[in-house]
Amino acid sequence: MIARTMSGWIAGILLLAGAGLFQEGCATMGEKPKPALVATDKGTVAYEDKYEFKAPIGWKVLREVSGGDFEFGFLKFEKGDFPSQTTFVYDPEPFGSSQDLDTRAKQYCTRFLWNSGILAEVKEQDQVQLWGHPAIMLHLEGENPNRNEKAKSVVYLVKKGDRIISFVITQWRPMNVTFAPEPFEQFEAFVQSFKFLKKTFYEEMEEKIKKLKG
Amino acid sequence: MDGHQRNLYLYEALNARVLGVSMDDVTTNKYFAQSLWLEFPILSNTLPWMGKAYGAYSDKPPFLKDGTTQWFGRRTVIIDKKGIVRYIRDDSPNFQEILTFLLKLEEEFKGK
Repeated sequence: MIARTMSGWIAGILLLAGAGLFQEGCATMGEKPKPALVATDKGTVAYEDKYEFKAPIGWKVLREVSGGDFEFGFLKFEKGDFPSQTTFVYDPEPFGSSQDLDTRAKQYCTRFLWNSGILAEVKEQDQVQLWGHPAIMLHLEGENPNRNEKAKSVVYLVKKGDRIISFVITQWRPMNVTFAPEPFEQFEAFVQSFKFLKKTFYEEMEEKIKKLKG
Repeated sequence: MDGHQRNLYLYEALNARVLGVSMDDVTTNKYFAQSLWLEFPILSNTLPWMGKAYGAYSDKPPFLKDGTTQWFGRRTVIIDKKGIVRYIRDDSPNFQEILTFLLKLEEEFKGK
């Protein structure tokens, strides 16, 4: 019956879901993970032959294995009481769906850190260029007094072709401890040096569709 | 769901359309769609014959944490132009796999 309503279309996608069901799949068992980072002779590293960038020294690598909030990133535990840590990630699918940067930034901020209980407030929003692409840089800060913690973040939303990708750093500290600037500097070096070594899945898909349509 | 919304322009280029189906009532679905800026239809199927037809309906344990005893599991179904189910996957949608499959269907349709 559904198919009849879609006459003239090649296919329909049907999504069935109960409210609140957002389960993630499991990582495939038995697969030996490939080395995440390979050093280049330019003082940078290559990640899975897909990206090249300046990596922070001494940080743990975060790899997404089941499809989720980011593709990869870095984590550093720092001196001090919990929570004293910083993470930064590359996320090719930031929350929201608008292809317009300003609208996407508004959509993105409605869910940013929403599971943490932190009420993140946009302190600054700048229109910038990243590797020649238009981008928005957001500075956010927030607190959760009930858990005696606070967070400071910088988010880059970058318009790359028809899609928007993102880079995000979040630093966590107890309420009475000041934020450290160094991790943000390392994040900045990571973002500014970031290069795509090959076309993304979506860029390839767009090309295949264009070719198919002649 | 916002992932499907991000990919709508590609689905349209591949002559595909998206429908969401939920056991929630129309009002709940309306607010859900608004909260994610969804531009494709979300069908309310409270009875729930569609979930049964497509194998997504469950009324056996484990029940949902909120005590709900009848619910739809997350399932993605792709139906081709002839009404034939060509793809079924459970849990979170694999968007790249879905797009690759739709491209294959479009190529098949165009005889390429």
